[in-house]
Amino acid sequence: MIDLLSYGAFFLSTALIFGIITLGLNLQWGLTGLFNVGIAGFFAIGAYASAILTTPEVADRIGGFGLPIAVGWLGAMALAGLAAAITGIATLRLKADYLAITTFGVAVVVQLVMLNAEALTGGPFGVAFIPRPFAGVQDQPVLFNALNLMVVAGVTLAIYLALEHLSRSPWGRVLRALREDERAAISLGKSARSYRVQAFAAGGAVMGLAGAVQAHFIGFIAPDNYLPTLTFQVWAMLMVGGSGSNRGAVLGSIVVWAIWVGSGAATAALVPGDWQARAAALQIVAIGVMLCLILLWRPQGFFGPRRGRM
Amino acid sequence: MSLQFILDGLINGSMIGLGAIGVTLTYAILRFSNFAHGDLMAWGAYATLALVSGIAALAGAAAPIGALSFGWPMIVAALGGMALTGLLALALDWLLFARLRDRGQAIIIVMASFGASMALRSLLEFLFTSSPVYYSRAIQMAMPVGLGIRVTPDQIALLVVTLALVLGMHLFMTRSQTGREMRAYSQNPALARVVGIDVARIVRATWLIGAALACAAGIMVGILVQIRPLMGLDMLLPMFAAAILGGIGSIPGAVLAGLIIGLSEAATVQLIGAEWRAAVAFAILMAVLFIRPMGLFGVAER
Amino acid sequence: MTRILDVQELVAGYEPGLSIVKGASIHADEGEIVVILGPNGAGKSSLIKAIAGLVPVTGGQVLLDGVPITATPAHLMVRRGLAFVPQTENIFPLLTVQENLAVAGGILPRATVPARIDEMFGMFPDLARQRRLLAGSLSGGQRQMLAVARALIVHPRVLMLDEPSAGLSPKFVEMVFARLGEIRRAGLTIVLVEQNARAALAIGDRAYVLAEGREAHEGPAATLWNDPVIAELYLGHRKAS
Ligand SMILES: Nc1ncnc2c1ncn2[C@@H]1O[C@H](COP(=O)(O)OP(=O)(O)OP(=O)(O)O)[C@@H](O)[C@H]1O
Ligand SMILES: [Mg+2]
Repeated sequence: MIDLLSYGAFFLSTALIFGIITLGLNLQWGLTGLFNVGIAGFFAIGAYASAILTTPEVADRIGGFGLPIAVGWLGAMALAGLAAAITGIATLRLKADYLAITTFGVAVVVQLVMLNAEALTGGPFGVAFIPRPFAGVQDQPVLFNALNLMVVAGVTLAIYLALEHLSRSPWGRVLRALREDERAAISLGKSARSYRVQAFAAGGAVMGLAGAVQAHFIGFIAPDNYLPTLTFQVWAMLMVGGSGSNRGAVLGSIVVWAIWVGSGAATAALVPGDWQARAAALQIVAIGVMLCLILLWRPQGFFGPRRGRM
Repeated sequence: MSLQFILDGLINGSMIGLGAIGVTLTYAILRFSNFAHGDLMAWGAYATLALVSGIAALAGAAAPIGALSFGWPMIVAALGGMALTGLLALALDWLLFARLRDRGQAIIIVMASFGASMALRSLLEFLFTSSPVYYSRAIQMAMPVGLGIRVTPDQIALLVVTLALVLGMHLFMTRSQTGREMRAYSQNPALARVVGIDVARIVRATWLIGAALACAAGIMVGILVQIRPLMGLDMLLPMFAAAILGGIGSIPGAVLAGLIIGLSEAATVQLIGAEWRAAVAFAILMAVLFIRPMGLFGVAER
Repeated sequence: MTRILDVQELVAGYEPGLSIVKGASIHADEGEIVVILGPNGAGKSSLIKAIAGLVPVTGGQVLLDGVPITATPAHLMVRRGLAFVPQTENIFPLLTVQENLAVAGGILPRATVPARIDEMFGMFPDLARQRRLLAGSLSGGQRQMLAVARALIVHPRVLMLDEPSAGLSPKFVEMVFARLGEIRRAGLTIVLVEQNARAALAIGDRAYVLAEGREAHEGPAATLWNDPVIAELYLGHRKAS
């Protein structure tokens, strides 16, 4: 029972961290129509930024500034937002595909930096000893996980409310108008682009924050956490939830994560050892197929507002 | 400094260029950047492997041709693999892309290609596991050709094949009626219909050609390096960068840009280190986007 | 006289539920030049694009030689004998002049294409001199000629042109219209949408004035030019007399 409670809190925390990323993606795609295939990259930038800022000093690595976690979070948002802004500035005056390709490249390069810039990122082994909030109660799993869940839920709620507010603000209305009416966007020209860069950067910052939150939640990060699969998962979450809806983004994250974890546990239990890797591959096939099926049959998702177009 | 990197770069660049032809055609004619293009490449490589194994099982082992690592079954299998990859692309179009195209939201098609790419790649992992496989275990001796450059017979053969394919593609696009129609359609789809061009035929030709060339690139990677489910994903960024650097829609541009990127990667490996190789394509991509987004041979977007 | 093109009560629009062409009826007899006039936004382009299969048709029908061709896919229209020169972007700028003709000749028997291209060059000597240039580098008038040659290469029964004189200098306007006159004398039926009412009515046999998606007036070209009400309402000129 205790285990279950503790696991439930842990599960929800992870799902809500995905929820934060998905909220960031919803700002970029759902509200503004900007396609990001490098989610894992922006998420990783946030995680590493915060880790480098907050970990205690170590001998063979730059960083280890030992700063407070809150500073790490802010740094994560700033750096991921900056990376997103640069990506946007480079591509948003061009056709939409260029943004997609560039974000894909960002994820590739971030992965390389994580693996190879050992002096900064610790290389394949990543960064350990990232300060965890409530480390003092780590030996009481239920309490520890519950407190962490509260933090994650708090951040999710804060981002959710902020995005709801933003999307109703004049700023959000401009973004929506820009995505619905390409001609208006063109006639606004430069300023349309600047709105889009802002939205893309803000979405990137939210993803970076999610990365930081997760890094402090698990206390240890490595390049393997940030593979392209993560990007797929987040897209699946947004599409299931219904792009354009912040509520859908969070619900979609929980549902997809539950399916993912559930099917993973099922294969672990049912599939013989030497087939496990193959079964895991099949799990990813399923997500890819699901994404395509949703695009074909239910582009508005399952929890979003019922709208004709997406 | 050894000049070997020039040869390595040319080989690597040929594979990128062959793949980029498909990317650039898909973009120019079907109007979306196909994230599943790399996976067509990997599927082509595996399909060819299956055919080679099949032929070996039926007809027994065949002697290699001359000093090459492979014999006639490889050539037959390569042709078969190209056809199968073409069919796979047509099937994908029929199942997925055509339906979305009718709704007319280009970026949704990009997203679908992204989902398809993931499914295709992981399906390969499911079928063949992620450990690398090879067409042949034979070790080839590299011959010195001067200036400190060494080259294997396979490398020479594949460079010649690439050259032939690129020339063939160029002639096809400039001399054949279908090639002209493809260029016309990419310039102005509505006018293409007015002059009687059957769009469905153009779409089919585009997929078949792009997929066949992707398969050829995949086979080259397979012969010279290894076959892995992720081989296409790893080539995706260089292929996109080459298509954009060359100028969308330009086949000579894609090939030239592929060579430029291949050479830059090889130079980077030599000067900085192999681990940074994958960043080269990104650096070139960013430079093109900031300095000359239309690419070397591109025309300003309408 | 044989009625070649017969458009009956055509309804068409770009978006569902929003008709731009609202029940237009026009026809053209063999060897006629029929002019369609009308103010900006009247739906002239939309009407002939709908006839050519480029705008979804929701009502009415189009007969060519008595055979219904309504909603035939656009790429089959030229095979039925209906050629169309759009108002803008009516050539492929990155193909050479010769390639522009060759690509349009794709529906002819393969072996006859080179000879047919040469015939077109005989008809348009200016183009022959520029055959290897990119079409995009031609002057406005030459582009228009190329567009017409491209449409004619397939031996159409009906040639529909959308404002061929738009943006041309008076000299070229004269040249284009002189050419259209010659083509008609060769037996072709021409449907001509124009803003340049004077030039169009000068070579036209019959004319329609289109307003708000349907034909508002019809008459012989000569009388339409002299009708003061129409002149003032739609043609934007006042008769001095
Ligand atoms: N592609 C399109 N999609 C939606 N609406 C269109 C499109 N093209 C034209 N329209 C609308 O159809 C109406 C008629 O336009 P059309 O171009 O047919 O007029 P026109 O008589 O040819 O005018 P002009 O003399 O300026 O060429 C206009 O209100 C225009 O806004
Ligand atoms: Mg018009």
